Amino acid sequence: MVCVVCKYTPFELFAGFGEDVRVLDGMARDFDLSDTVSHVNLCGFGKSVIQASLEGRAPQLVLVNCCDVMRRSYEIIEGSGSAEFVHLMDLPHSCGPCQIKNLARQLKRLKDAYARFCGKPFNLKACQAAFYNPEQPEGEYVAVLGVRAGREMQQMIEQVFSMPVRNLTCTGNRRVVLDDRALATDDEDEFFLEYAQALLGQVPCRRMVDPSGRRALLEDPNCKGIVYHSMKFCDFYGPEYAQIKAQADIPVLKIESDFTLQSKEQLRTRIEAFAETLGDTKGTGMSNINEGGSYVAGIDSGSTSTDVVVMDREGAIVSTAIIPTGGGAAKSAEECLDGALREGGIDRSDIAAIVTTGYGRAYIDAGNDSVTEITCHAKGAHYLNPQVRTIIDIGGQDNKVIRVDEKGNVVNFVMNDKCAAGTGRFLEMMANALGISLGEMSQLGLSWEEDITISAMCSVFAESEVVSLVAQSKAVPDIVHGLDNSVASKIASLSKRVGGADVYMMTGGVAKNAGVVDAIEKKLGCKLYISDKAQLCGALGAALFALEGLEK
Amino acid sequence: MDIVRTFGGTVASQAKVNPDRARRLLMTGWRAKQAQLALAPDKRLPKSRQYAGRLAMDTILKAMSHPDRAAAISIFTPYEPLEAAGILPYSVEQMSSFLAGTKCEGAFLETAGLHGFCETMCSYHRTFLGALSSGIVPKPRFAVYTNLACDGNLITFPFLEQKLGIPGFCIDVPFERSEEAVADVARQIREMTEFVGDVTGKPVDEDRLREAVARGCESATAYRGFLASSPGKRLPSDMVSEMYAFLTNHLLMGTKETLRFCRMLEHEMKEAPQSDGVRLIWMNTMPYSQQPVIDAINCNDRAFVVASDLAADHMLIEVDPGKPYEAMARRMVYSAFGGCTQARIDRELQLARMTQADGAVFFAHWGCKATLGISTMMKNALEEAGLPCLILDGDGLDESNRSDGQVATRLGAFLEMLEARKAEGKGAL
Repeated sequence: MVCVVCKYTPFELFAGFGEDVRVLDGMARDFDLSDTVSHVNLCGFGKSVIQASLEGRAPQLVLVNCCDVMRRSYEIIEGSGSAEFVHLMDLPHSCGPCQIKNLARQLKRLKDAYARFCGKPFNLKACQAAFYNPEQPEGEYVAVLGVRAGREMQQMIEQVFSMPVRNLTCTGNRRVVLDDRALATDDEDEFFLEYAQALLGQVPCRRMVDPSGRRALLEDPNCKGIVYHSMKFCDFYGPEYAQIKAQADIPVLKIESDFTLQSKEQLRTRIEAFAETLGDTKGTGMSNINEGGSYVAGIDSGSTSTDVVVMDREGAIVSTAIIPTGGGAAKSAEECLDGALREGGIDRSDIAAIVTTGYGRAYIDAGNDSVTEITCHAKGAHYLNPQVRTIIDIGGQDNKVIRVDEKGNVVNFVMNDKCAAGTGRFLEMMANALGISLGEMSQLGLSWEEDITISAMCSVFAESEVVSLVAQSKAVPDIVHGLDNSVASKIASLSKRVGGADVYMMTGGVAKNAGVVDAIEKKLGCKLYISDKAQLCGALGAALFALEGLEK
Repeated sequence: MDIVRTFGGTVASQAKVNPDRARRLLMTGWRAKQAQLALAPDKRLPKSRQYAGRLAMDTILKAMSHPDRAAAISIFTPYEPLEAAGILPYSVEQMSSFLAGTKCEGAFLETAGLHGFCETMCSYHRTFLGALSSGIVPKPRFAVYTNLACDGNLITFPFLEQKLGIPGFCIDVPFERSEEAVADVARQIREMTEFVGDVTGKPVDEDRLREAVARGCESATAYRGFLASSPGKRLPSDMVSEMYAFLTNHLLMGTKETLRFCRMLEHEMKEAPQSDGVRLIWMNTMPYSQQPVIDAINCNDRAFVVASDLAADHMLIEVDPGKPYEAMARRMVYSAFGGCTQARIDRELQLARMTQADGAVFFAHWGCKATLGISTMMKNALEEAGLPCLILDGDGLDESNRSDGQVATRLGAFLEMLEARKAEGKGAL
């Protein structure tokens, strides 16, 4: 079994040796082995290939000189001795006649290297027999574009949409077709020239000098939505996303991963929210409704708190509860719901329907349906103030900026990546470094004198910068002001990306931080609307969805 | 008050509303700097280093003033065909470095982010792309670039071509080092020369090209002489001078100016005083504005850089000036910044032996995957050969990817370690 990573790899060549090919597309659990032999700031895919090899999961490996990371991954794997056979195929960056000749030379080199390794002769006929013309699927579909999506990510996206999902990333869009003459020839030189031409004639990946052939991917009328995957430390695809976002007539969602499963739930939230905006979820809708019930409830299971809103059938809030999330999402949800019911003097049997939202929603059994917190926030914000067009939500572990229309529907949204910079957790870390409470931090940022810039966006670097500023005897309010501005810059940048427009509403725990609110208002040049029910926005939206479910 | 930062802030804010005015302002500032370099140079530096500073400033000002006679160029692309055609160069790295020197890079990094360029991309490229997107980069006649040393060129230059509507040519340097690869790259450089002739409407004069390649070879010989006579001596330098040497040796290769610079260096090094300070090889880009690095290395007899691989690498490759295209191709194919890591390791060891270096600093520039990927291999290999190596994480330009505290501690401890080794008689290779 030969492991490969790229669509330009000559898969069919190995049939000439009686060998199968496996695409190495599993996402990594961690990079503990890779990080010992390489630098952490390589793309997750490169690190996953190194990790797989060092774990012995890819004894025979053929890599392609796609980018700097792949070149270095090859050298690291070769140097480690972890693979029985590892080969780097040099791939030209364009597809002119000379480049085709070069690639044909590379194909023959790979053939010779593998023949030496396995001790078997190359059977041209068997290789030719392995070619086939893949059928082009018909009908509407959702496309996954951008950097290669791991197998698990692809499966997760397929689970969310009811439409077929086509993997058009650099691993999933392979189409290498030879004509009858090339498939019948006995002349190896002629065959490899044709093979090289067919490989280079595919829809180009972004590392090619002329990627204009990719336009066909975007102009297919059957493509109804695009999930665009980008990866930290892979730079090739970012500009294409920006271009698609600006020009495409169809909805586009950008997701970012580091090719691990560590932020799977956050990714699922984004993809589900996107499917909700497309109106194409696999959700079954409300089930097991208690028709006789007089109330509905929304449960928002967040990373730091669990919130519940109970509402009557007229849409009026009857009771609410907020408790810290602890001891598991399901347990906290039950406790919080009980609290809200107690406060409202309502019996559980009088609840007609419950909708859950938030990170923990998948683990809560109590709900009749589940909606992402992005859609719920939009719904809740619209309920609290119908003038709101942009919601800024800074929570414990993520930031979201959601653009909504006049009906409270999500038009666009962005979230921060896995990095904690600019989140509630970031502020908590910095407060710890300064030896102050979050409450003190909230006010101190307003009484600054010296305008200090915290340049580091990474939480770890920022912490070190804060410690350096303390060592320089800089005043704590000035440092806090610098931190507030750093969070505000991050938010302003996210806001620009979604086309933020007034009225802005701020939700999430950080809305209580007066210094951050002031800094964001200055960056945006307008006031933020903050409701006293800001923290309940997600749960409120969930309750409203429960109410809508009853009406349907 | 930090005058440069205030000026940079004004350029950045103007770039948002009036890019032409921002460009004029920027050039006024750079002309002032040019005058300062000419009238009041840093007296701690030798004449050669002062000359390279002026040269770098002149080069970018000329290109910015006459964009119709300029080409955007990636720094590892051979300049000789452009020199023969009378085309002025401006490079991504040079433009970004000067913008950062003017303290306005932050605004352009932000603009690049808004155009989809990832935060994890090299900040030299992002700063340039941000400036380009802001509209302050003048439209050059054409672009020539290569994949050698840096993937970022394959993102930046196609974007530049599209954004400004100019033609471009890419030299695709293969991974393998072979005579076939040299022939292939020589053919591409010939095509590039024809391309330059086509775009300018005047075929490149082959005699002038031969002269330029020959001058490049003479420059390399002088630079090798400079390095070879450095053991035991110190010719004062600083991080920004190393960057100027990098720019001069690549961007102006084949010019009379580069030849003059290299000969000045060679002459001055022969006359330079003895020093028993710590001698360093600097690998990769130079964080010339980072204070802990400045404090530790700039014009300092305790510790100093004797060679930087970016400035020296291609000067060590022997080529035949009688075969100009092959000579330029050989320098690309056998560059330590392309192909396998072992070649880069061998180059660093060659430099360390030539200059009798005590240690090597591997600057792991954020976003440069080609160098980050080899950091551990490089450290292990150099240390196995007896050359202590420090991996220093940071960013040549973007302050947000730096940690001054960490750099001060790591670099300080490394220099203390090297001093202790020297005291024990465990000096250079």
